[in-house]
Amino acid sequence: MTVVRAPAASRPMPAQRGQLRAGARLLRLELCHNAMLWMLPVAAGLFWFTTYRKAMAMPPLWNLRASTMQSGALLAFVCPVAGAAAWMGSREARRHTADLVTITARPRWARQFATWAATTFWATVGYLGCVAALYGVTAQQAHWGGPLWWPAAVGAASLPALSAAAFAAGTLVPSRFTAPVVAIVAFFALALSTQLIDGSQSSWQISPVVTGPWDVGPDPGVGTFYRYLPDLSIAQVMFLSGLTLAVLGALALPNGRGVPWLRRPAAVIATAGLLAAGTAVALARTGKLDAHGMIAIPALHDAANDRPLSYPPVCSHTAIPVCLNPAYTSYLPPTAAALTPVLDEIASLPGAPARISQAAAVYRQGRGTSVSISMAGPLLSGTPPVFHMLLPFQLAGPAMTTGEVAAAVRSTAGPAIVASVVGDGPGATPAQRAVAAALRTSAGLPEAVLRSAPTRQRPSGAIVPLPVPAQAAARRFAALPASVRHAWLVRHLAALRSGRITLAQLP
Amino acid sequence: MTAGPAHNVPATAAPDRRARPARPPRAGTRLLRLHAASRRVPAAIAAIAACAIGLRIALLGHWDTYGALQLPLVFEAGAAAAITVTTASPIGEPERVTGRWLPFLRLVTALALTAAAAGALAAAGTGAQMAGGPLDVLRNLAGMTGFGLLCAAVLGGGLAWAGPLGYLVAGAYGLYTQWHRPALTTPWIWPARPPHDLGAAVCAALVFSVGIAVISVRGAHDPAGE
Amino acid sequence: MNVEITGLTRRFGRTMAVAGVDLRAGPGVVGLLGPNGAGKTSLLRMMATAIRPTSGTLRLLGRDPGAYGQRREIRRQLGYLPQNLGYYPGFTVAEFVEYFALLKEMPGGRIPAAVAVAIERVELGGKARTRLRALSGGMLRRVGVAQAIVNEPELLLLDEPTAGLDPEQRMAFRALLRELGQRATVVVSTHLVEDVGAACAQVALMDRGRIVFHGTPECLAARGKGYGTGDAPLERGYSAVLAEARP
Repeated sequence: MTVVRAPAASRPMPAQRGQLRAGARLLRLELCHNAMLWMLPVAAGLFWFTTYRKAMAMPPLWNLRASTMQSGALLAFVCPVAGAAAWMGSREARRHTADLVTITARPRWARQFATWAATTFWATVGYLGCVAALYGVTAQQAHWGGPLWWPAAVGAASLPALSAAAFAAGTLVPSRFTAPVVAIVAFFALALSTQLIDGSQSSWQISPVVTGPWDVGPDPGVGTFYRYLPDLSIAQVMFLSGLTLAVLGALALPNGRGVPWLRRPAAVIATAGLLAAGTAVALARTGKLDAHGMIAIPALHDAANDRPLSYPPVCSHTAIPVCLNPAYTSYLPPTAAALTPVLDEIASLPGAPARISQAAAVYRQGRGTSVSISMAGPLLSGTPPVFHMLLPFQLAGPAMTTGEVAAAVRSTAGPAIVASVVGDGPGATPAQRAVAAALRTSAGLPEAVLRSAPTRQRPSGAIVPLPVPAQAAARRFAALPASVRHAWLVRHLAALRSGRITLAQLP
Repeated sequence: MTAGPAHNVPATAAPDRRARPARPPRAGTRLLRLHAASRRVPAAIAAIAACAIGLRIALLGHWDTYGALQLPLVFEAGAAAAITVTTASPIGEPERVTGRWLPFLRLVTALALTAAAAGALAAAGTGAQMAGGPLDVLRNLAGMTGFGLLCAAVLGGGLAWAGPLGYLVAGAYGLYTQWHRPALTTPWIWPARPPHDLGAAVCAALVFSVGIAVISVRGAHDPAGE
Repeated sequence: MNVEITGLTRRFGRTMAVAGVDLRAGPGVVGLLGPNGAGKTSLLRMMATAIRPTSGTLRLLGRDPGAYGQRREIRRQLGYLPQNLGYYPGFTVAEFVEYFALLKEMPGGRIPAAVAVAIERVELGGKARTRLRALSGGMLRRVGVAQAIVNEPELLLLDEPTAGLDPEQRMAFRALLRELGQRATVVVSTHLVEDVGAACAQVALMDRGRIVFHGTPECLAARGKGYGTGDAPLERGYSAVLAEARP
């Protein structure tokens, strides 16, 4: 007689809804006991120290604050997030619960996913809180424009990738040294890999701390006259998402006995992630510096973003209005104050500009990593003529205080305005040069340096000093009462500009 | 049952409780070796060596401006974290209620590892263009190790790495501000100060001393179940 | 039969921890005795599907644990308490048991009640919200038992379950074992022969990776008649069997 041994009755699989509810409960448990929760104060403290204070010291320009936030927040969060994720990945080995949890029915990948998801959740909450704080204060301070969301999205996409990689390292090497080693490696990779960037067509600018042309750095002149280009940000998000999928897929690939039905989807996900990340790197390599100071990637570029932004300029109530892009409203008072003396001198003169207007900058990639920034368009254009100028910080360079901006405007734009009215420049007559020098002196402007045309021997041209008779004439002209000087210019400016006035004819 | 002849049993002296049994001469060495093994000191030494080798390899490349200054700091923080992690005790309470040697063992372990790390990193920078030089290495490493030891006393040895690594970010930012003003000048961010700066050296030495003292006397915080 | 083992072996490097074990067990409590290093824990871990056998046949609850689907089904009906219980110190008692209920894929709606019942059965109802780090060793052991029984397992494997329990708690635990054994197969590995005598209907004695005795506690005690080593009949039987098994 054969005995048929029937297996013990199967327990019914929980229904789909029950599975979801169980998954939510598992996630809730993980959320309550995650090491990232303890790392949040560390991350927030580092964010405040390295990023928030630095951003608040910058002018309230959305582009500046957003780019500072993107790179700074990542560097502040990388060590706490990577360390916490690696710590959680090694939890089962450290707590000697491996056997206990291994013999349960829920697959290992589901268990690990819950732990990773909880770590990533808290990291993201902390990051978004920091973004909200910085953007909230900026919203109150900024005069124009709105939050740039792509930089925030890049940061948010970085956290799952970072925590996934660190979590995987923790599961593979559950040692007490894994968490600090992983955190150090992540910091090194992020912070110092930017040293490898060479020009605007470098694959390394896929790094999430890169917000634009790395050689230019955070630029106040970008994203105000033309739209902030999301091309590089899109590539970075693609790269980070691909990296996340690749790591999670690899984690789900079973080792040992594993879960047969999961192998194929896990392999597909991992492969898709790698392809996405690789594609993003290749796209970053095709990027180039566009004329407006941002990285344009042809395959991701939307031509609509090349249109200039329309904005209501903010203007001063000086003799000749000084008008700036409203994003730079805070610079209007010092700029207008710096130019008022010269504007008072030339106001109402025939041919004087009707308005002093801020222009957009044009960026050109030079050889290697060099970038040249200049003004788009001529100094004077239109009828009545409008004088165009760049504010000093639009030429990149170190951060400037309000006083430094005013001084720079006075020393560069002031003489240029005078020269444009009087006709001073290469080929100018002694009388023109003398009148220009007198007007500069009266307005308290520094001496302008006149250079001859460039030659092979002197590529930058030679300094052409003001002749002695012209110096004397300039002193006489400057000594006149302002009203007399102004009246003479009204009558003779056209002749002066056409070169028909001699030094002897100057009062 | 008859009594046997009395035997004169020589009186034995009562044992002198104050006399300690003579310790074999190699016992101290063996104790130190076992303590080191329990704290994963060999793995820490390997991690420190890896930091030194990594620094040497990294110095082969060309680093500009603040990147050159931040580079050694990364490896110094790695070594400090490795030292800090060794404070975690796998044994817990049974070890704490033993004799008097434990504080000395902790002190010797921390000091020896710090010295070894300083030597290894300084050697890695020899002959290469390492910003700051050996003095910088010693100051930064000692200060970050002290900070990590203090974190170990509060958080436990397992999580104490958060201290040196958090300080790494602060120090790297401090170096960055040397190029992007306003510069951080507080001596408590000693990596941002020149190697010969006395105030920064004093601050780092103070933190190191306090950390060493606390970890020697108290040891790392022992979370239950670790 | 919930446990069917034929010629089971397990090797760790050069050590043959389990050297050919045959065992069949149905509902009831089976005690697993043996000296240190006899292979009890290794055998229990194989039955818990934590490690694979090196060779031999193993069927649990009528299923082959070598096949993923069947193994998963076994694990839904399995409870396991290892000798060294790891735990997450920040979890409360209820959270720890709930965690394992979730991992065992219990229906979500049943979990809260099952967790409460399991905690009450080990007499930790008043400590449900206490963090594990605040519990004594004996209480932690009872938490371990609670997580093992939360899913009403058909196969319950307990390795040194009474370690750290006081005599009153051990008596209560034996009563629990007898209750559980009415429906499920309970395999208890222990050094305490009195636990075996009080709770187990069957006892298997292992030595050097093999089962050298399998029968009732009374038979084991009978084997010790006239044997001098041991303070109780079961101990004498235990010593006698080991002495016979060893050359």
